[in-house]
Amino acid sequence: MEFVGEANDNKDKSSSSGSLRLWSQWQLLDSILPTGGFAHSFGLEAAMQARLVISPEDLRTYVIHVLENTGSLLLPFVYAAAMSPDTQTWHKLDRLLNAMLTNEVGRKASIAQGSALMRVAASVFSEIPSLKMMRSEALSSGAVSFHHAPIFGLVCGLLGFEAETTQKAYMFVTMRDVISAATRLNLVGPLGAAVLQHQVAPIAEDLSTKWMNRAVEEACQTCPLLDTVQGCHSYLFSRLFCS
Amino acid sequence: MERGKLVVERVEGRSTLTRCFSKYPFKFIVPNKAGSSKADAVWIYTITYGGGVVSGDSMACDVTVGDGATAVLTTQSSTKASIGKGALLVVIPDPVTCFSTAKYSQIQNFKVVPESSLLLVDWITSGRHERGEKWAFSHYKSTNHILLQGNETLFLDTTSLEHGRHGGISERLQDYQVIAMIVLLGPKLKLIQSQIQEDVKKLMSQQLRLPSVSAGCSSESGSSYRLPKPSFLASCSTFGPKGAGVVIRVASMTTESVYNFLQDQLASLEALLGAAPYL
Repeated sequence: MEFVGEANDNKDKSSSSGSLRLWSQWQLLDSILPTGGFAHSFGLEAAMQARLVISPEDLRTYVIHVLENTGSLLLPFVYAAAMSPDTQTWHKLDRLLNAMLTNEVGRKASIAQGSALMRVAASVFSEIPSLKMMRSEALSSGAVSFHHAPIFGLVCGLLGFEAETTQKAYMFVTMRDVISAATRLNLVGPLGAAVLQHQVAPIAEDLSTKWMNRAVEEACQTCPLLDTVQGCHSYLFSRLFCS
Repeated sequence: MERGKLVVERVEGRSTLTRCFSKYPFKFIVPNKAGSSKADAVWIYTITYGGGVVSGDSMACDVTVGDGATAVLTTQSSTKASIGKGALLVVIPDPVTCFSTAKYSQIQNFKVVPESSLLLVDWITSGRHERGEKWAFSHYKSTNHILLQGNETLFLDTTSLEHGRHGGISERLQDYQVIAMIVLLGPKLKLIQSQIQEDVKKLMSQQLRLPSVSAGCSSESGSSYRLPKPSFLASCSTFGPKGAGVVIRVASMTTESVYNFLQDQLASLEALLGAAPYL
């Protein structure tokens, strides 16, 4: 009798922590989390001013290209951090990504978003004290740039999310933010944006599957035009976004 | 597979080729006078028997540029280069042009010390335009890796172009036929770094325009005046500690405009190299 009771207790504990994990997942992916993602357009603003993106069809193509490049360049970092969410791995990944984000605009955006995410996660997910510790250590040493992709992987890894979910989630927040930027740039209305997001979802799923679970040594960029145009952001005379 | 070997060192005050080894089908040509004899630089050309690279060919080369020496390489390959203190390595190839269905891959590793200087141009065109080949190759991959003091990665870029399920290469590159990357690192290139950043900023500021108010629905109206896409797009980024390096990315609709850009921006190197690159 006791044995069955114990088994039920364990089952309750694991299913309750599993359910709680779901709530954390939703919170992490909700755009209301104050990580400052709304300040970045992923090169879309520059692409519009360069007339590379004019119509909603152009936007759809652009979003797909951003996802492809995110998959090829950043997903390996998310994966590596999620698989080993420890200080040493995080620092190593952060240093390497800093050397690989050769686009200054993209690099600064990554640092801004990563810093914000780390700050928010350390405060919000107080059940993981190591987040706060890692953050203050990194701040005082000054040797960490706080890039977004490794921190996203680190936080998800520490929260116990599966690696596959974590990587797809990263693609999701990227897609969410570019499309959100498109609405603020008046390229598409809020309803059109929602329709587009749903239409692109199967492609995002495909690209996630294609690029997930790879080593950082394999990280590469696949859309040099995107890289070139995003780098033009600082030349824009009038701009809404930071990047 | 044996690697080619090139060593350029300062001997009695002049940059001198002290070692040169290449294997068929590649051959190094080192003219005695590539330019003015006042300049101190060794120019190394590579030729291939047959004029191109075919399936299965691989070209790999180890280059050492000793302290205070200057070497110019006019080819791309899988290179491992070591650049000494006060030394300059200039890598100024013609663009890679991949024919339909071709597969091309290269890795270039550069080991530098804080006082090394490196100019690296890495570029590719969409193919044989006149035959209608536009980004019709199967796969292109180029890795450029700069290591400081042998162990710290300063710069690492791998560009990979291949057809995907959600769009081919030409869709990703739209009407642009040439992609180029220029890396400028080190004290000997400081002036060019500042000049190129200024010039690109000026050039691009003229090209970028706020879209018209009805950006989202202008396709229906038909009457809105639309500026064409810029035929030449470029942006600069700094990298490394204290912005020691500058990387310029270019996307252009014509090969000629990139040659012109390179000619203009690198013209001041004539004093250092004896001849200006890309004339």
